[in-house]
Amino acid sequence: MPTIAEKILNRASGQNAVAGDIVSARVDRAMSHDNAALVWKNFKSLGVDKVWDNEKIVIPIDHRVPANNIKVAEGQKAIREMVKLQGIKHYYGINTGICHQIMPEKGHVKPGWLIVGTDSHTTTYGAFGAFSTGIGATEMAGVWATGELWLRVPHTIKINVTGNLPKGSYPKDLILHIIGKLTAEGANYRAVEFYGDTMEKMSVSGRMTVSNMSMEMGAKAAIIPPDEKTFEWLRPRREGELEGAYADPDAVYEREIDFDVSDLEPQVAKPHTVDNVSPVSDVAGKHLDQVFIGSCTNGRADDFEVVAKILEGKKIHPDVRLIVGPASYEVYLEAIEKGYIQTMIKAGAVVINPGCGPCLGAHEGIMASGERGLSTTNRNFRGRMGSPDSELFLASPATAAVSAITGEITDPRGWL
Amino acid sequence: MKPEILEGRIWLITDGEGKRLDDIDTDMIFHNRWLYITDVKEMGKYAFGNTEGWEDFPEKAKEGDILVVGRNFGAGSSRQQAVDCFRALGIQAVVGESFGAIYKRNAINSGMPLVEAPGIFESGLKSGDTVKINLRTGEITSRNVGFKARPMPSVSLDIYHAGDLFAYAEKLKG
Repeated sequence: MPTIAEKILNRASGQNAVAGDIVSARVDRAMSHDNAALVWKNFKSLGVDKVWDNEKIVIPIDHRVPANNIKVAEGQKAIREMVKLQGIKHYYGINTGICHQIMPEKGHVKPGWLIVGTDSHTTTYGAFGAFSTGIGATEMAGVWATGELWLRVPHTIKINVTGNLPKGSYPKDLILHIIGKLTAEGANYRAVEFYGDTMEKMSVSGRMTVSNMSMEMGAKAAIIPPDEKTFEWLRPRREGELEGAYADPDAVYEREIDFDVSDLEPQVAKPHTVDNVSPVSDVAGKHLDQVFIGSCTNGRADDFEVVAKILEGKKIHPDVRLIVGPASYEVYLEAIEKGYIQTMIKAGAVVINPGCGPCLGAHEGIMASGERGLSTTNRNFRGRMGSPDSELFLASPATAAVSAITGEITDPRGWL
Repeated sequence: MKPEILEGRIWLITDGEGKRLDDIDTDMIFHNRWLYITDVKEMGKYAFGNTEGWEDFPEKAKEGDILVVGRNFGAGSSRQQAVDCFRALGIQAVVGESFGAIYKRNAINSGMPLVEAPGIFESGLKSGDTVKINLRTGEITSRNVGFKARPMPSVSLDIYHAGDLFAYAEKLKG
């Protein structure tokens, strides 16, 4: 009667635990990005010479690429030296992309795996049926040393999603809606499993958006049972057999929640919390200074396809800065080959290199005080994209593209 | 062994009107523009640097002070700096209505006592009061208030006594 979370953690710990128990689990992959510098500093204080497994640690550098100041450059240099010293096999430099896109793209995600990362949005790999979660740098140093960590087996919330997403609404609108209903702490300490025909029909990219953002309601893991679509996506990227971990039919859930999306309007998260959600139509007309389309949440080829269709032959509003950031170089190249990038540039977009840049206000698109932005990213905390006196709204790529044309927050229905 | 009964001055983290501030996220506690800092001592001066009305907290806080925070404190990023900045200031403990999951883990692992105290904001305690906290029983008392919070779990207490997660692991190895 185990849930997916229980199955995966029992496999990883060799125990027969249930929700609430504490297990010591072996991880299948450990991911750190630029904060690997902090992990390394902690690791050195442990008095251990070598990491537990130099083939299971993955290090994509993505938060500030290329380095935007001397201190950042020093940190990235320390990481490269550590990678050489420890013989870390899977290092991805500034020319690869965002960690949460790179992990599955480069074959470091497998259904049924336990993956930890020093980034809260590590929940993204739940889209492939993995139990993946964010941890701090101290804890990661312990993982580098031993390959293990303590975990409390979480209780699971089952979310059933049914119905066809109406024209103009996308997986982003769905997850914003769910977060708005469950609140920022609604899934704290808990795993979430997603079911229903809406999820089955959803693309792998859309599922990644959902698992990525589930962290914003506190979810420790956000698992979508893998299907043939998942396996097809992963097969060219990973050798060996792929097999999912599935919940037993009589699995015990803490709560079950149903959503019918048949009438779901395009949604927006308003400043300054992700659970401050309403239909786009409620805030339509608000003037915008900046629009960002990209990130590990919504910076994939299918997102840019939607955007390019909207921007084709049009110009963005002269008062708006439109910034586009692909999630990875693989995505970037696909978007170039399909002509999306050209279309977006012709409409007035600035295309930046794959990386986290503007999403966390690191560089390449920081807002000034008094400015208002709309973004396809996953967080709108105060000051997230720059000045604490700026405002950030979160929405789908379609809402973002249409709003970039009009210069104000705009419901995309009627433009598609 | 470290003391299990802590005594110190409390800060109730509220808004300008004295209302409990919920969902204080990691960007508010330790803004991304200081994330390049890897020296814990240096992190203190940026604690609450992006929380409206609390930007000057590092100058006002004294070693041994105790934070009293609202619901879902530390939501968001896995950044450990959001715990370390308070350690750098000498904050003794964080008492809260509830905590973000990764934040809680980071605090426990770094040996910072974290006390879950649902209802603490209705207890009558005020900023500036001196309280005694019994970590093992969860009792929080001031001159005129008695409150029962959740006892700290024994593993968290063991990590606290050892110093941090690493010291605790060393101890287990014996």
